[in-house]
Amino acid sequence: MGSKNILICIKQVLDSRTVKFDKEMKSIIRDGMEGIINPLDCVALEAALEIKNKEGANITVITMGPPQSETSLREALAFGADKAILISDPAFQGSDTLATSRVLASAIKKLDVFPDLVLCGMQTTDSETGHVGPQLSEELDLPHVFGVEEIHIENNDFIVKHPSDDGYLETIKGSLPVVLAVTHELCVIRDLPLGSLEAAFTHNNVILWDAKDLGLKEDDIGFQGSATQVLNLYAPSPKRKGELIEGNSEILLEAFMKKLDELSVLDEENENQQ
Amino acid sequence: MDFELNMKQAVIRRTARKYAEKRLTAAAVEMDRTGTFPLNIAEEMGKLNYFGLEIPTKYQGAGLDPLSYAIVVEEVSRVNSAMGLCIAVHNGVSAAPIYQYGNKDQHQEFLVPMATGIKIGTFCLTEPNAGSDPSSIESTAIRVGDEYILNGNKMFVTNGGISGINLIFAKLQQGKMKGRLTAFIVESDRPGLKKGVSEDLMGNRGNPVCPISFYDCHIPAINRLGKEGEGFKIAIETLRGGRIGIASQALGIAQAAFDLSLKYSRERYQFGKPIASFGAIQNFLADMATDIEAARLLIYRTCNLRGKGMEHLKESAMAKMFASEVAVKTTKIGVQIHGGYGYTKSYTIERLYRDAKICEIYEGSSEIQRIVIANNLIN
Repeated sequence: MGSKNILICIKQVLDSRTVKFDKEMKSIIRDGMEGIINPLDCVALEAALEIKNKEGANITVITMGPPQSETSLREALAFGADKAILISDPAFQGSDTLATSRVLASAIKKLDVFPDLVLCGMQTTDSETGHVGPQLSEELDLPHVFGVEEIHIENNDFIVKHPSDDGYLETIKGSLPVVLAVTHELCVIRDLPLGSLEAAFTHNNVILWDAKDLGLKEDDIGFQGSATQVLNLYAPSPKRKGELIEGNSEILLEAFMKKLDELSVLDEENENQQ
Repeated sequence: MDFELNMKQAVIRRTARKYAEKRLTAAAVEMDRTGTFPLNIAEEMGKLNYFGLEIPTKYQGAGLDPLSYAIVVEEVSRVNSAMGLCIAVHNGVSAAPIYQYGNKDQHQEFLVPMATGIKIGTFCLTEPNAGSDPSSIESTAIRVGDEYILNGNKMFVTNGGISGINLIFAKLQQGKMKGRLTAFIVESDRPGLKKGVSEDLMGNRGNPVCPISFYDCHIPAINRLGKEGEGFKIAIETLRGGRIGIASQALGIAQAAFDLSLKYSRERYQFGKPIASFGAIQNFLADMATDIEAARLLIYRTCNLRGKGMEHLKESAMAKMFASEVAVKTTKIGVQIHGGYGYTKSYTIERLYRDAKICEIYEGSSEIQRIVIANNLIN
């Protein structure tokens, strides 16, 4: 068997440690904020690099996003990816996970060589939906495993482990190609040598594709191509308030139950706070 | 003028910060407490190119531009000033002059092990009787056949205890260049080179700063860096760039002090409010942030000039002097904001206050920097 072609879908997200929220505009402040590769996509990249180190592989990273996503692609090249594709077009704005998966799938189909292995992070730190992996596999008509913790490739087969719905670790064997949505347990991300950045950031090796290149129609992408809409976006504010109640256990328990009752926190209808 | 980092520089900052926070945070505490240097971490950093920052990739360095170099030193120092000092000295005043003044053979022989951190470098100018005044150096070099014989004592050698390669400045004893400083590359395993006991330092305690002495130390003539009598020029020009490293170290310390102080002042409640809500603390924070920003811009501008190959003697002196003084000022205020807690070793700000002070002293004290700046303005 020749070396495998691995495709990794990455997304540039804001660093959750530094993200700031505009309360009036109900939006995340993106100006001047630095994008990072979604941490679980880094895990997917690391897994691919480990396969490449062991038995050789051709790694392509692909992202759909605004032009500044190029930074993340170049970072992936610095880590050891061989090829990078940026899918960017103002027409993609407003795409939900379904439209995004459609765009990614059409880009993957456009590749010279169809990948043996499609990897992506199980979810992103910005919207945490976990939709893209499964939806992408549907668009590509490929099998898919979610929450992958271990990957072995043997000839044309994959053997992976992932937690099953009932909490057991399940081993699944199947034929390539496959879409795997990976999780943190899979591997530890290597440290990036500073010397790898120069070449990754100077060479002209990021391919740019827009909606036209992918032959996508307006109805398939952006708001129009989306099955879901974001109605509201807000940062939940923890409304914690300390109150000191003194007395013996009976008094405390009574006061506590009364408090819970007052706040209606035990009512089933009160599940949605906002 | 563009004040934004480019894509690559932004990733370099993030990469260095991430690595430093992950690997150097706990080490900083241990290094300060025990006064020992973690060779295993240095080995790892060597593989990640932290010891070959500006060394070209053909010698296995990272080939970074001066601004990226400053950013890496800043980020490492922000977490671990003793390690920041180690890479600043190694890269800035040991590897850099070997690259700048060395010939091809010297590049091949010395830069590769330096770039990979296998051999850590020093810069040995200071002596018991020669600090700010290099003309009073007493170390001697005598040419005998294909060798030089070195004698003398060097003091306060940063990285001394762990060095593999040492840049030595000594006065020639004969010939046309008699009495003139000359630079030599001396491997630590040369017979006649003796390292003394590491100093028990106030700050940056993890860096093995020690004396290095030469007793009839024979070195091959091919280990001479530059021409005979060129030592003074090499030293001065090296320090011009070296100041960027120390300025960046100072900036990292100052930034760390600010970050901790901001966090603490939001968490510490007095009179029922976070102390950050009080005018006195707000004034502190505003001054600290402004000073740090000014220091950063001075350093980055100096790097910009250096990157373009333009003169930057005055600018690097300004950056080094200002950033050092900002580090001392900022850490001092930082301890004040932390109150009694800041005076205990349980709080990082205490270490930062001690780490900062040396920045005003080494690689040209603030007083010497002012002379350099003033001379540049007047002449």
